[in-house]
Amino acid sequence: MTRQSASEIADEAAAWVARIDAADWSDADERQLAQWMAADPRRRGALLHAQACWVALDAPPATARTTVPRRGFVLAAGGALAASVAGGFLWLAGGTTYRTDIGEIRRVPLADGSTATINSDTQLEVTLASKRREVRIASGEAWFRVAKDPARPFVVEAGQVVVQAVGTAFSVRRRDAGADIIVTEGIVEVWAAQADGYRTSLVAGQSAFVGDNAAVRVRAGAPSDADRALAWRAGAIDLSGKTVAEAITDFNRYNRRKLVLVDPRLAGEQIDGIFRTDDPEGFGKALHDSFGVAVDSGDSDAIRIGAKNVPGEEGSGVPMSLRQQGRKTGH
Amino acid sequence: MESGEAEQGGDAARRRRIALWVAREILPHEYRVRTWLRRAGTASDDADELIQEAYCRLAMLEDVDHIDSPYAYFFSIVRNLLLRRLKRQSIVPLETIAEIDSCHDDRPSPEQLAAGRLAYRKALDLIARLPERCGRIVQLRKIEGWSQRRIAEHLGTTEKAVEKQIWLGVRALREQWSRAEQAADDLMSAREQRGGRGR
Repeated sequence: MTRQSASEIADEAAAWVARIDAADWSDADERQLAQWMAADPRRRGALLHAQACWVALDAPPATARTTVPRRGFVLAAGGALAASVAGGFLWLAGGTTYRTDIGEIRRVPLADGSTATINSDTQLEVTLASKRREVRIASGEAWFRVAKDPARPFVVEAGQVVVQAVGTAFSVRRRDAGADIIVTEGIVEVWAAQADGYRTSLVAGQSAFVGDNAAVRVRAGAPSDADRALAWRAGAIDLSGKTVAEAITDFNRYNRRKLVLVDPRLAGEQIDGIFRTDDPEGFGKALHDSFGVAVDSGDSDAIRIGAKNVPGEEGSGVPMSLRQQGRKTGH
Repeated sequence: MESGEAEQGGDAARRRRIALWVAREILPHEYRVRTWLRRAGTASDDADELIQEAYCRLAMLEDVDHIDSPYAYFFSIVRNLLLRRLKRQSIVPLETIAEIDSCHDDRPSPEQLAAGRLAYRKALDLIARLPERCGRIVQLRKIEGWSQRRIAEHLGTTEKAVEKQIWLGVRALREQWSRAEQAADDLMSAREQRGGRGR
């Protein structure tokens, strides 16, 4: 698709405004409009601009008709409002704290109808105030399915990183110097508390790392990537295309019994497969089967991969001959 | 205003709410941001893009309640977008960036902000400047509050034709707002002066 110019987009937006203004606006129209907007982030801005030009011709708020929500006017006009996005947040005391253990994945329904699916080894605090719904992630990761409530934005803070939505689904994982965000439905806005007014929008299927220093790295992937990254919600790890080193880090999030890579040559090898988060042994076995490495499960604290006594085969990718030895084991 | 609007779910209502806010708080001052961009050496096409992107940021907001000074907020978005753009083109002298970074706009005075609130009156002026047929239809729709269908019946034309005129109207209005030059301010200062002379 060739890049549209700003004025081409503006003209299309004007056409939408004219159409919205006609009497019979249907759900199908709304869907079409959503599609149009989703195809290029600039379109949303053009639509707002065109719509503003059009509603500017409406009588001023004092005599506005009742379909217009009062709040927007009263508060926008009133101005001075406590929680300004500019200066970080005032977190009200009295939230509810949730904590999960290593290996524990918990789904928590919140009082506003939203749900939080909390990953292993996570601590977060939920405060549902009248003006906004706030979650602060102290450590770990959670996926939120947010109940729609335009009057109360849903705001997740992970360190310096802030993510805001109204009704949508997304995950936030707190990292050392920032946070990973994956959007599975709708749109969210992300920003770093330091970078006032500097927001990035992410739509379904996109993920991003936002640094505490406000650097934003957006990755647009297939929707299936997001699902894969969030397989933990179903207690699974989906490794498609991950390296062995990454996979090991992943498993170790969920288990006290750690995988230890003794043979560093294996670290960069790619591996596929879906495993249970609580089955590092199964993963060790798959490595043994695909790469012919020795796996030592003798220790109750650790599973060592690539232990000294490497069997005959050297190198990677001889799965056929090895799969024969791989017996399914129950636990 | 038609009954359908109230039933449209959250997103449509939110879009409309933010549009009303933009119409009141930002639109009357948009030319100000454009003037500033021009002075900062931005080509007109680029200015269009920056402004569109800035509106995009606003469109992404769930709510505008927390914004104390809408114009300053909008201006800072545009300025940040411009800075980002300049930093990407490494040939720009650092002083230019520093200059823009430290530069603040010619913030509207309280009187000018009040003039902005006269946006509605200004908007009515704008209707008068539309091409005849287009202006007539926009007037029937906005001032008389007729539906597009009723206008079509009245003029003996199709609803599609009316919709098209409204499309042309929205486009023309957008042009006028962005090129509005001093109109809103002039309106206000004219009143000020009239009041002031009474001393």
